[in-house]
Amino acid sequence: MNPLNKIIFLSAFLASGFLLILLSCALYDSYKTLWVILIFLLAPLPNIVASSIDASRDNFLTFNNNDGNAPSPVQEFCKSLTGFFIVSGISLPLTFYHSRLIELGAMVMSITGGLIVYVDIVVFIWFFSEDEDENDDFNF
Amino acid sequence: MEHSNHLFRFNASMFKLPKSAKLRSFGVYLSGALYAIGFWSIVDAAIFSKTVNASDVHVTFVDWIPFICSSLGMLIVNSIEKSNLFVDSNNSFLSSGSGTNAWAARVILFCGFSLLAGGLAGSFMVLILKFLLKHYTFPTLGMGVSNIICNGCIMLSCVVLWLSQNIEDEYSYSLAL
Repeated sequence: MNPLNKIIFLSAFLASGFLLILLSCALYDSYKTLWVILIFLLAPLPNIVASSIDASRDNFLTFNNNDGNAPSPVQEFCKSLTGFFIVSGISLPLTFYHSRLIELGAMVMSITGGLIVYVDIVVFIWFFSEDEDENDDFNF
Repeated sequence: MEHSNHLFRFNASMFKLPKSAKLRSFGVYLSGALYAIGFWSIVDAAIFSKTVNASDVHVTFVDWIPFICSSLGMLIVNSIEKSNLFVDSNNSFLSSGSGTNAWAARVILFCGFSLLAGGLAGSFMVLILKFLLKHYTFPTLGMGVSNIICNGCIMLSCVVLWLSQNIEDEYSYSLAL
């Protein structure tokens, strides 16, 4: 599968996820579920930040801590933050539905749309890093 | 050496956790997810009390105190450096001058665990004093129950995070050998 097809398919999925969330707002006329978009866009961010911090940190001079392969506390905190955001994105519509602020259909559509958006971003990052690895293999 | 170290016949090496980096990161994700379930359960109780609550009982600041205690306890317990705890004060070869450090770490850890347990106990207290003693039925009682769910989930998340950090230790140890 060449990269162009990947990008086209992923963008189509992303658009359908956004479409589901926006429909859940517009069809039921309550714009509270827009927050789901924000939460699921924030969810992959901590891992990106943590990996960029780890990549920029100089590993050569820090031979004092001998647990070289153990992940840093920043990385772990970012991971747990990711888990927090994912469950938040699912439970925010559930909370709204429980308090009768949105309808059942809006809840289902916003949860599905949010999960699609999140999975799409994760898959995009995964493809991207895979491509980088291939470049490393061939170009040193 | 083996016999003098262990007090009981079952030694702890039987129950060693599997060493795997993936399991460790899964545990960290799981702990964040459990914390989110706890957080949203109490937020749900608060929103429920504000919107569709038919009774005259409302979630006030008293209901949030156990949650605040549990969160502080989890923060303290998991931000402590665990290698300080297992320093043997008799072993003067390795721990030169870190005996007081270990003592302080143990006291702080004790405070953290007390805060966690106090949060869970406090949520039960809120349920009993505020809801059960006045004979409320279920839609109202649910606000108290969700308080317990919140604190139980935060405690579980703390346990999962602690266990997964122990996995990390053994993993790095096996690599160092």
